Amino acid sequence: MLAVGAIAAVTLTACAEDAPQDTWQPEGENSTRIHNLQWPVFAIAGVVGLLVFLAIVWVVIRYRDRGQPIPKQSHGKPALEIALTILPALILVGVAVPTVGTLMALAETDDTECSVNVYGQQWWWEVEYPEQKGCGGIDREFVTSGQMVIPTGTKVLVSGTSRDVIHSWWIPALNGKKDMVPGRVHTVRTQADEPGIYAGQCTEFCGLSHANMRMEVVALDPGDFETWKANQLKPYAAPEEGSIAAEGESAFISQCARCHVVDGLDDGGVNAPEQFVYSRTAPNLTNLMTRNTFAGATFDLLTDECRERVWEATPEEFGERYLEGVTPECLNEVDLRAWIKNAPAMKPMYTDGTKLGPTDGRSRGMPALGLNDDQADQLVAYLLERN
Amino acid sequence: MLTNGSKLLLAGTTLAAVAAIVYGVTQDGTLGVVGLLSAAIALGLLAGIVIATRDGNVSAMDEAAAQTAVATHVAPEGNIWPLIVAGGAALVVLGLVTQSAFVMLGIGLLLIAGLQWMVDAWSQSASADGTFNRDARARFAGPLEFPLLATAVGGVVVFSFSRIMLFLSKTAGPVGFVVAALLILAGGFLFASQRSMRSTAVAGLTAFAALGLVAGGVAAGLDGERFIEEHETTGLLGEESECDTTDETHADENASQTVGNKAAIMADITLDAEGELTSKAPGQQASQRIVVGRGNPSNIIFHNESDEPRRITLTTGQRPLLDEEGEEIEGQTTPDQRCTALAEEGGSQLLTFRIDKRSAVADEAFELTVPGVEGQAIEVVVP
Repeated sequence: MLAVGAIAAVTLTACAEDAPQDTWQPEGENSTRIHNLQWPVFAIAGVVGLLVFLAIVWVVIRYRDRGQPIPKQSHGKPALEIALTILPALILVGVAVPTVGTLMALAETDDTECSVNVYGQQWWWEVEYPEQKGCGGIDREFVTSGQMVIPTGTKVLVSGTSRDVIHSWWIPALNGKKDMVPGRVHTVRTQADEPGIYAGQCTEFCGLSHANMRMEVVALDPGDFETWKANQLKPYAAPEEGSIAAEGESAFISQCARCHVVDGLDDGGVNAPEQFVYSRTAPNLTNLMTRNTFAGATFDLLTDECRERVWEATPEEFGERYLEGVTPECLNEVDLRAWIKNAPAMKPMYTDGTKLGPTDGRSRGMPALGLNDDQADQLVAYLLERN
Repeated sequence: MLTNGSKLLLAGTTLAAVAAIVYGVTQDGTLGVVGLLSAAIALGLLAGIVIATRDGNVSAMDEAAAQTAVATHVAPEGNIWPLIVAGGAALVVLGLVTQSAFVMLGIGLLLIAGLQWMVDAWSQSASADGTFNRDARARFAGPLEFPLLATAVGGVVVFSFSRIMLFLSKTAGPVGFVVAALLILAGGFLFASQRSMRSTAVAGLTAFAALGLVAGGVAAGLDGERFIEEHETTGLLGEESECDTTDETHADENASQTVGNKAAIMADITLDAEGELTSKAPGQQASQRIVVGRGNPSNIIFHNESDEPRRITLTTGQRPLLDEEGEEIEGQTTPDQRCTALAEEGGSQLLTFRIDKRSAVADEAFELTVPGVEGQAIEVVVP
């Protein structure tokens, strides 16, 4: 009964509706290719497995010990042996032909129309949009993190590497896995057919918070993508003088700018994450509130209600709702404040200063900054304007 | 009466107990004390068992045999091991106040001599029959002694060989080893051509060759290694901010042709026949800019299609000038550069670099240039 219950429980997980990383629901060209390969392979393997299982059961029952004399023993049956060699070989050839074809099609990147670079590090992804004519034209490079925004119906070349250990980029609905290896650049083509958010997860064990290293691809209509892009490139807007956000800017410069960058805030002291962080970088916070997540896409910047509104939007509604960004009403202030005050308490990271000898005192992840409530308020107010 | 085996165990018990006290007094932490006390208790227990069973030679209940057993009356023969143990201990003490190498040597001697002493003492009291005792010792110690001895001899041979190789000049080396190979060939021919040879002759020849090798190694080692010229490298050019030169370096032209890195490049930089410098990143159009990730190792390949050997140089602003001891000289800076070796006409070179600074806040633009080619540069952008 226990075994049946366990099998039933495992089987029933396939019925989950809120499963954004379901590999059986392709939403892009490459993932559809993978899907079209995997279901017949699973079907063939299933049929073979079932036949073998039934054969075993039949033999066990038919020839069980009933006290009968042991039959005459013989050796070899060439016809059967040849048949049992040729049949699996034919099945394997039948599987290999479409598999190799799919692999070659997946490796194709010459037809891409837009280029995005991703950098993995413990435990978040940086996304870089280089200057290019693709992606509708980008005149000046910019950087974001956690969410990679792409135009729908566009073949995007994702070039990735890692700054510390091996990570793996995987958005199940859009493509297969691609390892990101330090010192190497690996490429993968990504395309989303419909606007929406496509969740992913690092799939190469990369240390303490591997399970918390998530990422999302956000697909927008080309028009909405242009709006998003223009917003990413807009000039820095300083907070209104005398406001809490202005105090937050000072707090940011004194506390955060050592590692984090806000484009345009270039007088913010020495920005030298290489001295403090093992991966030599920290997320760029220029347009933090245009993303829905933070801390390696581990936590939502939106309240549950607002998040649901974006995630459950129809393709027609999605772009508008996503581009609203994080408004003061929708901000998940509880998690953001908690993160600012004591990040390691929310996500396991190597930040204990007494144990950082192997990394020359540099932490892996964001350390606790020991901020008081006033400083946290100021920083939240400042970050809320990074939209 | 204490038996031979129990003496060793009792000594071990005492040593572990004393060590536990010393450790507890001089060191923080209880783990070491607990470990050493556990060892003392375990050794004490074993000592008790060995005494109770009279070294396992006779029944503990057999009083008469206990008085006449071999273990109780066969006196060990004299041997050299106590002297070597003492020498090892002296070396350890000497090493503590001079060089740590003596400590290691002393510990090695202590271990070897201590083990040999124990095996000798055990075998000499194994029975009243001296021949049997010698066989017993050989059976026990042989499997350990022969491999260790062979390793030591092999080590001496290899070390001597290496000293001779490092002593001989670049040209004399091949000649010397051709001669050595011929001698070995001649020796082998000599052995093979004889119907029989006396074992003493073979041993003598081998010993002579071994002595010659060791003597040569010692002599060569004492005389020192040959002069090895330090070659100028592109890394050195970068360290000395001299990447703007168009001169040839002694650097290995193939040193940067790492296949793995060439398969993972950020961009191809090409100097064409007209002297124009362009960059082409995968999936992007050719331009005069490349974007590289901050704090991330990046590889570029420089293709030289001009009619002269050229190198590519990356300049990322200025860095503090260092004195001979590696200390920063206040107020003085020098170009922060990295560069390739000269690429032949039609050739290519790989450049690997990492930039930790953002280009937007740098005082000077980050650039890839080709020394000797004016007016051409690729801007390097680090977001």
